[in-house]
Amino acid sequence: MFPPITLEILVLALGFILLLAESFSQSTSKRSLAKSAVFCLAWIFALSFFVTSAPANPEPGSFWNFYSADPVSMVFKRIALLTTMAVLVMALEYEKVLAKNIPSAREGAGTGEFFILPLFTCSGLMLLASAVDLVMAFAALELVTISFYVMVAYMRGSHASLEAGVKYLILGALSTGFFVYGITWIFGLTGETHFTKIALKLASLQGSDTAILFALVLVLVGLGFKVAAVPFQSWVPDVYQGAPTPVTAFLSVGSKAAGFLLLLRVLEPFLGVASIAHKILLVLSVLAGATLIFGNLAALPQNNLKRLLAYSSVGHAGYLLMAVACVGVAPSALGSVGATVGFYLFAYLLMTLLSFLVLTIATQHTKGEEIQHFNGLSKRSPFLAFALLVAMSSLAGVPLTAGFYGKFLVFAQAVNASQWTLIALGTVTVGAGFYFYLRVVAAMYWAEPADASPIQVSGLSKMIIVLLVAGIFVFGVNPKPVLSAFQTQQTPLASAH
Amino acid sequence: MFLLCFMKSDYLPILLQVLVAIGFACSALLVSLLLGKATRRNATKDTAYECGMIADEGPQPRFSVKFYLVAMLFILFDLEIVFMYPWAVIYKDAILEYGASIFWSMFSFVGILTLGYVYAVKKGALDWKS
Repeated sequence: MFPPITLEILVLALGFILLLAESFSQSTSKRSLAKSAVFCLAWIFALSFFVTSAPANPEPGSFWNFYSADPVSMVFKRIALLTTMAVLVMALEYEKVLAKNIPSAREGAGTGEFFILPLFTCSGLMLLASAVDLVMAFAALELVTISFYVMVAYMRGSHASLEAGVKYLILGALSTGFFVYGITWIFGLTGETHFTKIALKLASLQGSDTAILFALVLVLVGLGFKVAAVPFQSWVPDVYQGAPTPVTAFLSVGSKAAGFLLLLRVLEPFLGVASIAHKILLVLSVLAGATLIFGNLAALPQNNLKRLLAYSSVGHAGYLLMAVACVGVAPSALGSVGATVGFYLFAYLLMTLLSFLVLTIATQHTKGEEIQHFNGLSKRSPFLAFALLVAMSSLAGVPLTAGFYGKFLVFAQAVNASQWTLIALGTVTVGAGFYFYLRVVAAMYWAEPADASPIQVSGLSKMIIVLLVAGIFVFGVNPKPVLSAFQTQQTPLASAH
Repeated sequence: MFLLCFMKSDYLPILLQVLVAIGFACSALLVSLLLGKATRRNATKDTAYECGMIADEGPQPRFSVKFYLVAMLFILFDLEIVFMYPWAVIYKDAILEYGASIFWSMFSFVGILTLGYVYAVKKGALDWKS
């Protein structure tokens, strides 16, 4: 048994060791870096079951005022570790494309860091899951975002990747500015940065509703960028399309999970202020409605699969925001919304990673990311086509998949909160979703391939794909293990208490 | 209430300064428009400052990318020093209050930067010739 912070330190140390190993080694193949990273992450994942829990009442000034290790944050940490492992496997598949797009004198030079940078993102995500202080949360979020800046622009020979990098850097920095400004307003109002203490101070503030709302809106703008909510979604399509595919997968899963986790944590103290709680819920509902409509309708005419998944990511942010907008004012309602968001994020993670993994493998043989390039994939590789079929059905919300159960929970929350407008919008957009997700399936199964040569899948990728497909079905039929993991008395929302 | 008024009047000079700045910028533009007959143009008038050498190349010469690399590394390690100064100044007092943790915090910080330095050297970031 050892303190939970050891996990983050181990991931960071692994990153440093691999960076040094990469710079000292003469080998041109960097595959062993990724493989050892996956291997060590698996060990760290196993270690995460043997950590001590946080003290109930930390003494003032101690580290526990910044960092909590409740069961829910441990679940998020494990998810971060598993996601990083999947992304690294994806990066291995992507190595050839990467090497082609990085001009260098020596073979393989400059590709090694691509397998190491995800480790730093992972440690940032893990720290974020445990942060109970705004300063800590901000530092962790920046660790995530800054490593993403580098990874998005990694293919310096590709114009699309560079364009994506510049867009992401500028808009990301702008959103960070909003977020920090929001934090300073919160600090100015309350004199605190710890979530629990902020909640106490805010509840006793009289007559500064406008200032409190302004602070929250600034934070919402900053986090809206991270989770890709409308009207802060303009960076999403270009960045998702231009970035290397494994990074796109990590970005859509990691950035969204981090954003929503932080959003729930930050919202909690503000919802405690009775006089403005209904205004906050109205703002959230408007955001959710706009995100639902834009994300799903803009995805309809897309022909590029990566771009389609980018708009789908915006659409799913809409469903998640819909659940968040159903947070009642009563503290008991917070718990179930936390579990809903947690389950939805988990389901989203499974199906997004699966679709990007299939995309990464298939596009190397199809020579393109347009939907027409996937014509007749079922004849070239029934395995990949079936995996993508499962991913697309789950994203659309076909029953018996995890995606369906996630949507079911969201709609159940909305019914409980009587959010009828959002329910109507959600129903329409789910219908739109069926059209554009299943269009991919139609292309794979009912169109003739231009080139019928079979596609081989490596053993490691095959294993991950089988696990993800199994996960989608198992948690779609029996969601209880995940739900109870997010519900164990402390939700991400209640963990600050 | 008195305190509030006092605080507001504290910001009066800043407001005045903002007004003066805006006023100066506007009047400078206006005066040059009126006196300088800005609409009348010719080739001589369009050259930079209407005096000096005639420029014979573009305004932005190309730099080697190495300059940026060195500049970025310099800023990184410069910030380290900026961070260490206040730490060194209060070290004697702080170590009595907080114990050895204040030493180990800085030690780990410098340690991480040292790893970064080793990495940069091995990658040839400071190698000017290659």
